[in-house]
Amino acid sequence: MLKRLLVVLAVVASGAMAASMGDVSSVKTLKVERGLTDAGKSCVECHAKETPGHVNDWKESRHGHVGVSCIDCHSVKKDNPMAAQNCPGVKGTDIYVSVLVSPKTCERCHPNEVKEFQHSGHARGALQVRSKKGMQALMHHFEGRDHPDLKNSPEATGCMQCHGTIIELDKDKRPTAETWPNYGIGNVYPDGGVGNCKSCHSAHKFSIEEARKPAACASCHLGPDHPDIEIYNNSMHGHIYNTEGSTWKYDSAPDAWEPGDYRAPTCATCHMSGIGNLKTTHNVSRRLKWNIWAPVSKLRDGGYETAVKDYEAGKITKGNALAGHKDGSKAGRAEMEQVCKSCHSTLHTKSFFKMADKHVELYNTYAKDAKKMIDELTKKGLMKKDKWSDEAFRIWYHLWHHQGRRMRQGALMGAPDYAHWHGVFELQQNIRELETVYNRRIKTGKIEE
Amino acid sequence: MSYNMEKKSKSPIWFILLLLVLGGTLGMLVSFGVAVGVHETSDDKFCTSCHTMQPMADSYLADKHGGNNSKGLKVKCVECHLPHDGLANYLLAKAKTGLHDFRVQTFGDLNSIDWEAKRKHAKHFVYDSGCMSCHTNLRNATMSDPKAFIAHKEYFEGRTDKKCVECHKNVGHHILGDYLKK
Repeated sequence: MLKRLLVVLAVVASGAMAASMGDVSSVKTLKVERGLTDAGKSCVECHAKETPGHVNDWKESRHGHVGVSCIDCHSVKKDNPMAAQNCPGVKGTDIYVSVLVSPKTCERCHPNEVKEFQHSGHARGALQVRSKKGMQALMHHFEGRDHPDLKNSPEATGCMQCHGTIIELDKDKRPTAETWPNYGIGNVYPDGGVGNCKSCHSAHKFSIEEARKPAACASCHLGPDHPDIEIYNNSMHGHIYNTEGSTWKYDSAPDAWEPGDYRAPTCATCHMSGIGNLKTTHNVSRRLKWNIWAPVSKLRDGGYETAVKDYEAGKITKGNALAGHKDGSKAGRAEMEQVCKSCHSTLHTKSFFKMADKHVELYNTYAKDAKKMIDELTKKGLMKKDKWSDEAFRIWYHLWHHQGRRMRQGALMGAPDYAHWHGVFELQQNIRELETVYNRRIKTGKIEE
Repeated sequence: MSYNMEKKSKSPIWFILLLLVLGGTLGMLVSFGVAVGVHETSDDKFCTSCHTMQPMADSYLADKHGGNNSKGLKVKCVECHLPHDGLANYLLAKAKTGLHDFRVQTFGDLNSIDWEAKRKHAKHFVYDSGCMSCHTNLRNATMSDPKAFIAHKEYFEGRTDKKCVECHKNVGHHILGDYLKK
């Protein structure tokens, strides 16, 4: 009796699972005629057997609807640096394919989305990591212990999964395990393409609905140093989303996704959507007034991001930390206020930003005082050579990189717990701790043991 | 008196007519010469008469645009590599690029040319006006194919500054990279 019950339960459970992700077993025998060339068809039909998950995603995608199939994105010319014939289905033919699909392929149909993306801070994700000596040392030396065999695991399992990396190929034109698979947003591909559409529109469905939900951003914007999903959940916007977001409409056409489709904004609504008179943008830096991740917050008056342009000119740079609206931080803030005013009154909008801006400026006073102490200790030779074992450095680092970001981001995105307890409260503690260390070292002229 | 006057009034007319006829003939000869010259310096026979251009010639001949198609039709080098938005522009670009190539071919260090680097900015020497002077009906022709329609939509609506060759990377030269390596 019990055995029979278990069998029944197992059958019901497997049926339920199959329904929730599309019935992959039926995909395995998929036959497609419409809109595909013979070669395109054979890719779909063979991969339906070999990698049914990929094909199941694809058949639910808009690409599938318009006849864009495997071969349209994965086939490359023979002289492309990524061109390979590792797939037995194309071996010996004149078709060359690549596991990697770079934005250079996406931009053939989505040129403006890729261009806007490359104007945004997202585009510098991998290049800035490569260009900054401190980050390289943190990953390989401090965390990876310069271990001849193991030193690359911190980057591969951590950093590059959000930042992306410069992807390298082995002699068979397969991406190396040190650089792929990853979902990082700033990937640099061997064909020179920079960026990763799949970070937010995951393969092989490339869904607009997915990218409009907070989960798309949350997989990277979380944790102690930029808890943006936690901040969102703490905000009234997140409160409403978490209450009823599952009933909202996320697949309205681009530039036609408006209040009414939702009752509170998601990340994409404020930072990207064509709400009201605004145009859609893939430049997520565009509507920002401040840089609120750097040690000291400055206005985003630097124009567009420059890392991709620099890379195309043969240089790997840390890009433009003050990238924003091309007309400066005022224009960026004006656009963000337009977003707010799609639902809120002018008074509500202006007053909210007035106090949030003050919290950013208050943060700057902490940062400048702390930086002054660190600079003076450094000048007097009172900082340890190995900064990660230096108490003063550690306090300073957490002050700006962790709680300082929480304070500023919490304020500007309406999250009281992060603006306060995880933010400014920690800072007033940190500055006192730092002062103690500073006074002791100045008084004794020595670094404590 | 009257004879003299007649002679005086007659001679400039004859002189002008003579000038017109001579000038016209000379003009026709020159423009004929220019036309022949422009024509003769437009195809692969002329453009690839220097060894430097051998990879471009070979990859062109292996390509659809170079005659490797069922009709055997060939598109001349200049159809793609000179602007087609007016005679003056066309001739100016032809003169400029011609002189440049002559100078580099004669005095330049040919081995130091990084052809792959040049391919990266192909949009500066492959002209959309050239493409569109043959593919005149492309806009309508791709309407019925959703894939091509979507890919070309931003272009024809003027919402992107991408050039043809930025997406159609190997157009005109079949697997040029392989030939450049040889």
